[in-house]
Amino acid sequence: MRGSPRALLVFLGRRLVYSAVVLLGVMVVTFAIVQLVPGDPIRLALGTRYNAEAYQALLEASGLDRPLPEQFFSYIAGALTGDLGVSFRSGQPVTVLLLERLPATVSLAVVGIGLALLIALPAGIWAGLREGRVADAIVRVTSQFGVSVPDFWMGLLLITLFSGILGWLPSSGYTPLAEDPGGWARQVVLPALTVGLVAAAILTRYVRAAVLEVAHSGFVRTAKSKGLSPKVVTMRHVVRNALVPVLTIVGIQLATIASGVIVVEVVFAWPGLGRLVYEAVAARDYAMIQGAVLLIAAMFLLINLIVDVCYALVDPRIRLS
Amino acid sequence: MRRAAPLTAAVAGLALLAACSTGEPVDMGEGTGSGAEGGGQTLHVAIGGEPDQLDPNKTSSYFSFQVLENVYDTLVETDANLEMQPALAESWDISDDQLTWTFHLREGVTFHDGSEFTSEDVVYSYNRIIDEELSNAWKFTAIEDIAAPDDLTVEITLSQPTPNLLSNLGGFKGMAIVDQANVESDEITTAPVGTGPFSFEEWTSGDHITLTANPDYWGGAPEIAGVEFQFISEPSTALAALQSGEVQWTDVIPPQQVERLQGEDQIELGVAPSSDYWYLALNEANEPWDDVRARQAIAYAIDREAIIQAVSYGNAAANQLAIPEQSIWYSEYSTYSTDLDKAQELLDEAGVTGGTIDFMATTEYPETVTAAQIIASNLEPLGIDVEIRQPDFSTWLDEQNSGSFDLLMMGWLGNIDPDDFYYNQHHTDGTSNAQGYSNPEVDQLLEDARTETDQDARYDLYAEAATIIADEASYIYLYNPSVIQAWTPELAGYEVMPDRAIRFRDVQLMEG
Repeated sequence: MRGSPRALLVFLGRRLVYSAVVLLGVMVVTFAIVQLVPGDPIRLALGTRYNAEAYQALLEASGLDRPLPEQFFSYIAGALTGDLGVSFRSGQPVTVLLLERLPATVSLAVVGIGLALLIALPAGIWAGLREGRVADAIVRVTSQFGVSVPDFWMGLLLITLFSGILGWLPSSGYTPLAEDPGGWARQVVLPALTVGLVAAAILTRYVRAAVLEVAHSGFVRTAKSKGLSPKVVTMRHVVRNALVPVLTIVGIQLATIASGVIVVEVVFAWPGLGRLVYEAVAARDYAMIQGAVLLIAAMFLLINLIVDVCYALVDPRIRLS
Repeated sequence: MRRAAPLTAAVAGLALLAACSTGEPVDMGEGTGSGAEGGGQTLHVAIGGEPDQLDPNKTSSYFSFQVLENVYDTLVETDANLEMQPALAESWDISDDQLTWTFHLREGVTFHDGSEFTSEDVVYSYNRIIDEELSNAWKFTAIEDIAAPDDLTVEITLSQPTPNLLSNLGGFKGMAIVDQANVESDEITTAPVGTGPFSFEEWTSGDHITLTANPDYWGGAPEIAGVEFQFISEPSTALAALQSGEVQWTDVIPPQQVERLQGEDQIELGVAPSSDYWYLALNEANEPWDDVRARQAIAYAIDREAIIQAVSYGNAAANQLAIPEQSIWYSEYSTYSTDLDKAQELLDEAGVTGGTIDFMATTEYPETVTAAQIIASNLEPLGIDVEIRQPDFSTWLDEQNSGSFDLLMMGWLGNIDPDDFYYNQHHTDGTSNAQGYSNPEVDQLLEDARTETDQDARYDLYAEAATIIADEASYIYLYNPSVIQAWTPELAGYEVMPDRAIRFRDVQLMEG
């Protein structure tokens, strides 16, 4: 299929329809679940000094007194036009609040995964090609350590070292890339390193396993026996084929970070989606929760789509159909 | 593999970019000077979370009020002793029958958008709270009419004498005077316009809010160029930011760090008693807690000092009444001491032989969970088994209201006038009397105190009511926590307030 743009278009079209169905399902389920969660947002907003008049006034102002089917259909109708309703807690449009958080979230996810790949690819390949030797053992132990370390602890450690002791990097905060690239880079390093190191540990193990599997396969033996140089065998045959299963994991890791790494966001005061969702849930801000879950679902679908397209690019045997 | 090369290169480039700048010192936030005269520096502070919205009349979030304290004014305001002082109103007269208060407004005050502040703004703001039935509308229940006879006069007519009118009008920025155009454009939730020492500049979601000094502030332009509030909920991060000089002030400090920080010479620590109080309430609708002796037994069994150590590492003052020693409303009371024999005796008299208590705590306020464990061990020798529940806060509020608990712990924060809390919590008709306490004598005292205009007589009424409330263990008061804040030595002129109001209008930033 590699040369056929038409096949790609058909594939994309089909995936788009499929994604729309999934998103509709997500909307139905989140709307229902949010209603089932115990806890009254109005009471929370009023706090301990509750009185009946203020409660009634706020209930009417929020629109939460409308019948559920009416609320649901106005939510669906709004979503079709990009209007996800108004955040009960802040009085601002949900779409605006979500879009504000998107750049920071994407920054952290992309740089974090970038750093993870920078570590995991060489380390995993290196270990995979030296199975059972000292290098392999070192990589395996280190990555086990990386998988086991809690990310909040890693974050605090990095802050203490780079911000507290060395004074090289700011401990927290976020500057938009477009506003000040230097400031953005300095502030993204520590949180990205925190999520990146954890992701790198996981990825390294997958890369190593994939390399091992491919290295033992028949076609690699054939390639070697044909007299190809080890370098060519490694790069053209082993690594390329090992990348296919790794891509899946990279996609999942990327989507996971993008959908909010709340602990890391809290430690570094990073304005990502995770904290937004957490605060919305704590305040039972229904519209905000629904909007955020929808966005996260959309991101997962998009990343999956990109991963699927990448499969075909890496491995000619896989067809987009 | 060629296809992967651009990605790898981009990532490497990013890493390089980051690495290149790592050798530079951290940006200490030199003043932007935007809009401010005098070119002072911008003060950077870390607060524990992000405001939900910036409409002072609508928000109930402390994070919002930390910012809004510096943006808005009220007619009158608290001082460091929580007594009311002139603010937008320079002076006021009270009619002989105590039913008409005439406020004389400050002349030449402008909103941040340049429009003039007049008596109409006061009338508009107060009517907004009343007409929209906002959560603070109850503070106006005694008000019959608010009139503006001329631009600089506001006349408030009352249905009954209200000696605490000033604290109702100026106790906190929830009663701020807002700008009608700002409200009607709906911009008040994200870009508020006030008359205060700083004007709103920008809000970057999830990261910070910036205020700029108001050169025309009626109290004199601030010396600093502005304030940037960063939202840092993790205390270790906030402390690291303070120590590296990224911020010069923070209140995100866990009590267990106080002792360590006291030894640091690069950090000034402000620990002051607050007017907040924490209490236990036994549900008098449930047996045996309808029996005053059973409630008193609990009051004798608990160990306040142990609770304070556990919840705040000693950064609180034990108190058997609500009001802290520093307040003008303080009265002494020390009936209870930790005395298990006395407690057992009272239980025997009440005919209580062990049993279980349903203790409702909430992780929203972690001190309630910690204290519950201490209290459980305090009550164990009496054969009382404390079952600790930790529902989420909205469920907690629901169950408090519906009376589904035996024992709960909660705090009331930012207290100023005794009417605010004694009446609501202990009058038979009080809106927050979840424990169901009812004593006609206390009701009478609280009603009399509500309208008593002689300060000494009013003090006596509250002292008497408080004594009965504690004697009958309507509440078992525990402690007043300390306000804990820290700043760097460059910050001068900052004062810790007992109601946790955070004011930066009079501070200076020295060259570090």
